[in-house]
Amino acid sequence: MKRRVLFFALVLYLILSFGFADGLNITGYVRNYDGVLLNDNMDFSIVQNTLDLNFTMQTSKVGFKVNPYIYQYSDKTIVFDIREAFLDFFFNSFDIRIGKQQIIWGKADGVFITDIISPKDLSEFLLRDFEEIRMGVTAVKLDYYIGDNTFELVWVPVFSATKFPAQNSIWAITPALPIQPIFDFSRKDIKPSIKNSEIFAKYSVFSSVMDFELMGGYTWDADPVIHTLKQIDPLTHQLLSLTAIPEHHRLTVAGGSFSTTIGPVVIRGEGAYYWGKHFQSNNPAIRDGVIEKDYVNYLLGADFSISGIKFSTQFIQQIIPDYNNFIVNNKTNNLMTVLARKNFLEGDILHLELFSYIGLTDGDGLIRPKISYDITDGVNIMLGANIFFGDKGMFGRFNKNDMVYMKIKYSF
Amino acid sequence: MKKRFKVLSVLISLTILFAGGLFAQKKLTGLDIMKKVYNRKSPKDMEATLTMTLINSNGSKRVRTIKQFIKDFGKVEKKIMFFIAPADVRNTSFMNWSYDDPKKDDDQWIYLPALKKVKRISSDSKGDYFMGSDFTYDDLGDRNPEEDNHKIIKTEKIDGLNCYVVESTPKDEDYMYSKTITWVVKDRWYGLKKKFYDEDGEYLKTLTLKKADNIKGYWIIVKVEMKNKQKNHSTIMHLTNIKIDTGIPARKFTERMMKRGL
Repeated sequence: MKRRVLFFALVLYLILSFGFADGLNITGYVRNYDGVLLNDNMDFSIVQNTLDLNFTMQTSKVGFKVNPYIYQYSDKTIVFDIREAFLDFFFNSFDIRIGKQQIIWGKADGVFITDIISPKDLSEFLLRDFEEIRMGVTAVKLDYYIGDNTFELVWVPVFSATKFPAQNSIWAITPALPIQPIFDFSRKDIKPSIKNSEIFAKYSVFSSVMDFELMGGYTWDADPVIHTLKQIDPLTHQLLSLTAIPEHHRLTVAGGSFSTTIGPVVIRGEGAYYWGKHFQSNNPAIRDGVIEKDYVNYLLGADFSISGIKFSTQFIQQIIPDYNNFIVNNKTNNLMTVLARKNFLEGDILHLELFSYIGLTDGDGLIRPKISYDITDGVNIMLGANIFFGDKGMFGRFNKNDMVYMKIKYSF
Repeated sequence: MKKRFKVLSVLISLTILFAGGLFAQKKLTGLDIMKKVYNRKSPKDMEATLTMTLINSNGSKRVRTIKQFIKDFGKVEKKIMFFIAPADVRNTSFMNWSYDDPKKDDDQWIYLPALKKVKRISSDSKGDYFMGSDFTYDDLGDRNPEEDNHKIIKTEKIDGLNCYVVESTPKDEDYMYSKTITWVVKDRWYGLKKKFYDEDGEYLKTLTLKKADNIKGYWIIVKVEMKNKQKNHSTIMHLTNIKIDTGIPARKFTERMMKRGL
């Protein structure tokens, strides 16, 4: 860690030396974030201090951005990483971006359907701000502009997987396996090579009537599926041991999204078809406990205002069309999100917000109320809660992780 | 709807009225005056830095800074704004396309750097206050004079200038103001002051011209103040670095530029 901090200091020094010479912009924030679990002991769920810096420079022809960040935790753990570090080249009708970058596609909020290029950091489940959930990927991105339409091509030479919580984290997920397995991570990594690279394309139309995107991708599933190797007693047929082998699989994805206005309401939609998705199966005839099935994920949403309160609602459905009852996942999974937001006081300096995920299939969900106040320009204090309900499903499994938190942030 | 955002090109064109052209020598009606203002000669394009100073009842100030570009494409006027300060909204951008066709609503998009996404938003929020200021989105637009009934209630001299005092009442009973009263300078055709009354007929706020400059033959309102009497809060808008008719390219008003920023 000491070497990484030294490296960070060196990068800072070089950037600043360069920047003071020629118009570098330095922005960012410092934040303190403290969360308390609503259990008997009122344990801290998180005590985190953050420094997030953005170094940017842009001319009419070129630009760059470097976004290092540091999380410092109460147990003295320090996480240092670079979220983005890329170069931009601007031409008359096209732009090229090379380097580590966050690439965000689609019209959905808080759910990931065609937005599959930048993998997710789920170290704190879905509770981080969205810019912190999405990890940068090293990629070459070409945008070619035809009037208000854009053709985008992305090549990701090195695969990055979803980052899951640590084993001892309150957000860790235990795989649904009959006995405690022995993990074999030998197949988890994807060897960097041209053959193993990922490619994505998108055509987007930006118009008065409607904005829409059509996309396709040949990628890896960022979430590994657990293959299993069972050792069974030939006499008693009892399971003696289980080896769990996480493995990523190739995915082919095609989809699209749109948004348009009907009167005072913005209507949004997004959908994708995935070929080659792998699911865990309990079928004893399947040796490694994994089956390949196609998969559909889509969303419909509406944004509108009532009495000065801004609402944003989404209905999301995930379907495994060729389903069988051995598959661990549900055949269909229905989810809703609801966001309500209103500003108060002169200058709109007090903000009230309620965001909820509601699992319609498993009867679970997450309610996230928060109130924030702009103490002065650039300084904001926020109080919030994360309330889980249900006893199964994506949110119900964290039913004991209800918490309240406070964040104070200075942006500069 | 196209005219809605012209205000910010000349800052507050509906509220601080000014007009080119000759003053017809016939007896003018209130509608004549408001039409002259509405149909004034305006620049083909403009860029400027807009600074809004919000002042609360204690006198404490908050400052918002925006870089804006506006261009008239004939049937559509396009505007793009880049937020510079405060720091927590920096690199947010907003784009508005407004149309000559009065039946066609504006198209609006916002780019949020945290989400790295351009989102289409509804333009049906004219009563909302712009960035916490004392200006509603509607105040910042050109209201078609045909939407109100106008009458000249008196003439009055302010700072040595003869003004028509025009009272405007909306034809739509649900409009956010029950009436407005505007002081329009005779022969110069710009406004010095405008009073707003809320839906209950109570006095709400006053807009006052602080400074106007003639740039390339256009009268540009560069500084105004809106004082909200009911909230005891005020906002000063100030345009600087004004550039007019420089031939801003059409590609400035695209999703590409919203994402790229300044």
